[in-house]
Amino acid sequence: MMISKRYNIARHLLAVLVLVLSSIFLMCGCGAKQAGQAGAGKAKEQGQVDVIRLAGGDWGYPTPYAVYPRGPGGFKMCLIFDGLLERDEKGLIPWLAEKYEVKEGGKQYLFTVRNGVKWQDGKPLTAEDVKFTFDYATKNPMVWGALDKKDIQKVEIVGDRQVLITVTEPNAAMLYKLGMVRIIPKHIWEKVDNPKEFTAPEAVIGTGPYRLTEYSKEHGTYRFEAFDGFWGPKQRVKVIEFVPVSEEVLAFEKGEIDLAGITPDVLPRFQKDPQYKIVKSPAFWGYRLLFNMKDYPILQHKELRQAIAYAIDAQELIDKVARGAAVPGSAGILPPDHVMYNPGVKQYKPDLQKAGELLAKLGYDKLDENGIRQNQKGEKLSFNLLVSSGEVRLAEVLKEQLARAGIEIKVQSVDMKTRDARVRENKYELAITGHGGWGNDADYLRERFASYSKGGALMASAPGTPGYQNEELNALLDKQRLEFNDQKRKELIFKAQEILAEDVPEIPLYYTTGYNVYRPAKYDGWMFMFDHHSLTHSKLSYLERG
Amino acid sequence: MEYLFTIWVIVTLNFLLPRAMPGDPFLYMSADEGQEVARFSEEQRQYYLEYYGLDRPVAEQYLSYLSDLLRGNLGYSLYYNEPVSTIILRRLPWTTFLVIAAVLLSTVFGTILGSISAWYREKWPDKFLFFCLILLSEVPAFLLGLVLLFTFAAGLGLFPLSGAITHFANYSSWWEKLLDILHHAFLPVMALTIARLGGMYLLSRNSMTTVLEKDYLRTAWAKGLPKKRIIFRHALRNAMLPIVTRVFLSLGSLVGGAILVENVFAYPGLGHLMREAVMVHDYPLVQGIFLVVTICVLLANFLADLVYRKLDPRIGDYSGIHGG
Repeated sequence: MMISKRYNIARHLLAVLVLVLSSIFLMCGCGAKQAGQAGAGKAKEQGQVDVIRLAGGDWGYPTPYAVYPRGPGGFKMCLIFDGLLERDEKGLIPWLAEKYEVKEGGKQYLFTVRNGVKWQDGKPLTAEDVKFTFDYATKNPMVWGALDKKDIQKVEIVGDRQVLITVTEPNAAMLYKLGMVRIIPKHIWEKVDNPKEFTAPEAVIGTGPYRLTEYSKEHGTYRFEAFDGFWGPKQRVKVIEFVPVSEEVLAFEKGEIDLAGITPDVLPRFQKDPQYKIVKSPAFWGYRLLFNMKDYPILQHKELRQAIAYAIDAQELIDKVARGAAVPGSAGILPPDHVMYNPGVKQYKPDLQKAGELLAKLGYDKLDENGIRQNQKGEKLSFNLLVSSGEVRLAEVLKEQLARAGIEIKVQSVDMKTRDARVRENKYELAITGHGGWGNDADYLRERFASYSKGGALMASAPGTPGYQNEELNALLDKQRLEFNDQKRKELIFKAQEILAEDVPEIPLYYTTGYNVYRPAKYDGWMFMFDHHSLTHSKLSYLERG
Repeated sequence: MEYLFTIWVIVTLNFLLPRAMPGDPFLYMSADEGQEVARFSEEQRQYYLEYYGLDRPVAEQYLSYLSDLLRGNLGYSLYYNEPVSTIILRRLPWTTFLVIAAVLLSTVFGTILGSISAWYREKWPDKFLFFCLILLSEVPAFLLGLVLLFTFAAGLGLFPLSGAITHFANYSSWWEKLLDILHHAFLPVMALTIARLGGMYLLSRNSMTTVLEKDYLRTAWAKGLPKKRIIFRHALRNAMLPIVTRVFLSLGSLVGGAILVENVFAYPGLGHLMREAVMVHDYPLVQGIFLVVTICVLLANFLADLVYRKLDPRIGDYSGIHGG
């Protein structure tokens, strides 16, 4: 912990220094900046490029088992391995499965495996490979992917190229889970007993558009080359190289990499120059304020939670803490960039008067000498807020805001892992946690807020809401899980967001957005997947689009 | 014996400390801003805990840890998915290279500058050097690294921005590769060297001054020996003693400096690795790195002991009396 703290200080110093020094260099007008630009040539419509370089680092050997669970390693692996379905801007699209059918009310999925697909070693892809993959992944959970051991009941080959998957219980999010599983070749993996340690050269043979031609764990470099026998859309990038960089912005300016993620501070450096294009990422990473209603019954009062929501000024949080690069939280939980976001739900605009009225209704109508509200019995409105050391600033601004409404907040800051452990064990009163995945299938509303979901099915990464119960919401969330008509399901999710916005079982504070900068003259095929915030992570970013 | 006991204590602490850290390595509920986190289901978490033996009682884990260590097995990394020893061995040479290069350079230049200063004591070269080097010694190595990075790599484009070699390069000969490696290592080594220079300078200046005032040097002067011979044969040789000890003893602290410098230059050494391992709570890897670093430090101490005895026979006598 010492080290991480020191490192943090170092990182902050570093950020400041980078800023100062880079502005000095900007003023000096370092002439070498545009070197190497002219040679890149002009890209035609859907033109090809030879090499794209991106910021890398070691994220593991790109197989579905050896890749590291954190970080962007999984997406490098996806360049090599295909799933039955793929994601574009709008949703799921057929990929290794040319079509699919949902049967028996979501109990069964019938995938038709595409003809003429070749593994990178020349052997054809068969339905047998698909069946093998699911059986194998059920026995040995893949590092990457959300499929659970107990999701699948059985996998059968029916007909020539058809695979029928029977799941344990119907769930509208299941298609996504099944579609994202990376299909691995039976002829290679059937002999492998310990998939995590299988890192032979043939372990990276997939059906995907790119082959791994070089990987250095030590230096953190990857080199992917277009696979000539790829079944699908033509690759627009012949070689993708990932190299480690010390300073992303610097490396980008020097032309060492072709795309960089940047912070709002350096935006002005690129905004005016037409050779750069800046893209804002969808906001799928957010902070939320949790209430432990189980152990602190006072939090059971909807009015109290609503009052807190009215007392919070998300825009101020964003300006002060996120330097403007975020979107205010939606009371309906799903972020505005989500495909099922309901823009019509009740939102809590900062309103101290309303907050005061709600709190007075609960009996907290007196103020003590510090301006903290209390009731007739003299009980004060005071809460402990558990945060990790990285969120202290956020917590302090929040504390100020709530104090204006007469609510006292005591900030307890611990390291991230301690916070996570305590949240998991419900040892907190209020807590803030931050994580990604807000663009995922809306079924996460069920995982978080359906009162029955605690325990078994609960993801370790998404704690439920202790003590929160709403039968109507439970019913809705149950129903959307079995609704396979997208439009009808969307209506149910819309309704669920309305209930959540009214009940405020938790408060999403804000969702952060990042910025990316690239040179469109070099390459312009970048795209976001409908549920994901990174341009470089999408396989379609490197392929010709129809 | 002492050294063995120290190693045992370190090994045990090493085992206990990561386990005293809160949170389990497969519980990812949150992430640093903007970072992606894999979602583990409860079941997957159990599977991995079992796989790595983290579900067994601590005593049992400790015993198997000790017996593994005796067989040279440092365990299996949770995150990197490889034996810890393999990972460390691949990274160790880079750090060793940086540290040794920095030690050599800073010792040589520190000693030379220190001797010059002592020679011109209280005159302007001494005052000038003293001022500059005191100033430099207060700047942490990583900050120096950043300044060097911005000036020489980013600004002037004389050196690469990061890494230890040119990626995906095809070398036509071994010396071409060597040049490439030296080219990449230049700035990190400079940062470490300059950061250490002040300390070495002060030590050698001090040591030199003391020696220069000794009677036997006055004798040497009186004998009319040449200046060079006096400085290098008579004075420096005796002044070297504390310097040599310091060189060995400071190896450990240099590793600390290297950790931050490596992170500035994205240099693939142990320091870079350490940061990642701590961040992802990879117990076995953190343990392995600590162990290797502490053993290196102990080894350096041990060597310092030996060299000191060799250079100064009186030490040997004392320890003989005390039964050392």
